[in-house]
Amino acid sequence: MTTSDKIILKVENLQKSYGGKKAVDGISFEVKKGEIFGILGPNGAGKTTTLEMIETLREIDGGTATIDGVDVASNPYAIRGMIGVQPQTPGFQDKTKLTELIQMFAAAYGERVNPKKFLDEVNLGDKADSYVESLSGGQKQRFSIVAALVHSPKVFFLDEPTTGLDPQARRNLWDLIEEVRGRGISVIMTTHYMDEAEVLCNRVAIMDKGKIVKLDTPQNLIKDLLHRGFKKEQRVEQANLEDVFIDLTGKALRD
Amino acid sequence: MEKKFYTVWVFFIVNIRRLFRDRLALFFTFLFPLIFLFVFGGLNSGSKTVAFNVAIISESKTQFAKQFVSQLDKQKTLKVDKTVTTFADANEKMSRGTLDATIELPAQFGAVQPGHTYPSGQAIVHYTQNGASAALTLTTVLQAELQAINTKLVKSPAPLSVVSVQNNERSLSQFDYTFTGLLGFAILGAGVFGPVNIFPELKKMGILRRLHTTPLRVWQYFLSVMFGNAVSGLMSIAVMFIVAIAVFHLKVVGNYFELALFLALGIILILGIGLAIGGWANNERQAAPLANIVVFPLIFLSGTFFPRYIMPHWLQTVTTYLPLTPVIDGARLIATEGQNLTQLGPQLAVMGVWLVIVYAIAFRVFRWE
Repeated sequence: MTTSDKIILKVENLQKSYGGKKAVDGISFEVKKGEIFGILGPNGAGKTTTLEMIETLREIDGGTATIDGVDVASNPYAIRGMIGVQPQTPGFQDKTKLTELIQMFAAAYGERVNPKKFLDEVNLGDKADSYVESLSGGQKQRFSIVAALVHSPKVFFLDEPTTGLDPQARRNLWDLIEEVRGRGISVIMTTHYMDEAEVLCNRVAIMDKGKIVKLDTPQNLIKDLLHRGFKKEQRVEQANLEDVFIDLTGKALRD
Repeated sequence: MEKKFYTVWVFFIVNIRRLFRDRLALFFTFLFPLIFLFVFGGLNSGSKTVAFNVAIISESKTQFAKQFVSQLDKQKTLKVDKTVTTFADANEKMSRGTLDATIELPAQFGAVQPGHTYPSGQAIVHYTQNGASAALTLTTVLQAELQAINTKLVKSPAPLSVVSVQNNERSLSQFDYTFTGLLGFAILGAGVFGPVNIFPELKKMGILRRLHTTPLRVWQYFLSVMFGNAVSGLMSIAVMFIVAIAVFHLKVVGNYFELALFLALGIILILGIGLAIGGWANNERQAAPLANIVVFPLIFLSGTFFPRYIMPHWLQTVTTYLPLTPVIDGARLIATEGQNLTQLGPQLAVMGVWLVIVYAIAFRVFRWE
């Protein structure tokens, strides 16, 4: 565990309205260095808008966000150099080799890198000279993540990273995200899969209607619910269908 | 600052490599302009020498008539249609306009009349309503031809005569206008439709949005696209020049370096229009109609397919100030009239003003998603 107590992202009373409707209604939270922070919530809760404001893609209507002490609203270009962003659907220009795309992303940050080294990190070394359109969904996700890390960012944003992936690719991506945390990078992610949040996230914020309803570690949130007398139908099985799936088809990554 | 230009350089290099992997893009960059060049070049090549399509119907069996026919056959100004042997055929072709006139040599043409030592006769030029001016010229040509023979047959002094001498001064041919017009058309096509087709696609795939999360600046991105278009555009134009020189005998008298520099500026100017439209549009449905509204007037008014000198005077004046007009005029002035950049003040001034306007708009309206 590389989580330290150093605060890397600080959000205070963040607000965004669209035509009088408050999409993000004065939320505050902090993310520590080397922690995976999950933002959960139903569609329209304001998760993506929150991320986009911190990523400098949307104007902040009210409140502040600071990354490592740098104000997001007043220093967008400095902030963009400190963050990596993995969008929901990773798109890359066609007929371009993976090595060239890595070079381009590094160049966008003003850096020269050895693309092969980055591709090897995510088992795409043998695909170095392939075009991105020949990659499978899981490979594309891995490539997209490594492309967002070429400049060693301090904060890494992932928007629903495992939507549409098969269980093998999903687990592989979990390993990868944990590895990113292992480098001391703070990860902020949204997801609709609660099992994923439970496995990965150090802390989660649950959002609804533009507000944070609750913020704690997954374990505390569960404990809290049980304390209040919540009872789920008892299940005696020590495994679920996904365990069966992985047992039958193995953990090996399919491309 | 050096880092910022390194970014531009990498984007430029990768995108040039990408161009050469994209067959469709290669077709539109290199082959498409050549198709237009062959069509329009073919239409007005050979327009420098006047030629008449004629049929010769000789009813005379004399040696002189035979010689005269073969002599006419060698005339450069006459194209003799040998498939026509009867007046019925000739009239049919003349009424359809494929023959300008028919030359008849009557039965007695070239026969030596009793009491004379030399052959005589009268050739007849038949023509229809449409071929009146051709027949008039043709009659004059034949007159001169026969006059030359007359002086050999009958020695008589000719005190007055006329001779025509070709001046060595070079003049512009129709093809010079056509070719530089086509250059303008190629620049317009690549500069406007390139970004207009590509940008909405890049936005749809979220590629530009992703670049927006990096510190990449709009000017860096624009600059890499400008360099890329200038290089691919100049390569495309170089191929057009090679074909025009080899196939259509284009004579380039100007300085190639100045020409390349000027054309690069033209490409960047027109590209700005494409960047403004493609950069602003959210999708193809916004981009395509706007691009057509801009491109079609430029095609018709800037002298791409029709030279501007056929326009009424007031329209020529107005169209001088369109962005594409100085590009086409300047290219012609350098390439075929041998002018220097320093002599192109008016063209460069118009281009400079448009460059500022077009890029000011492009930067202002650009959207990453």
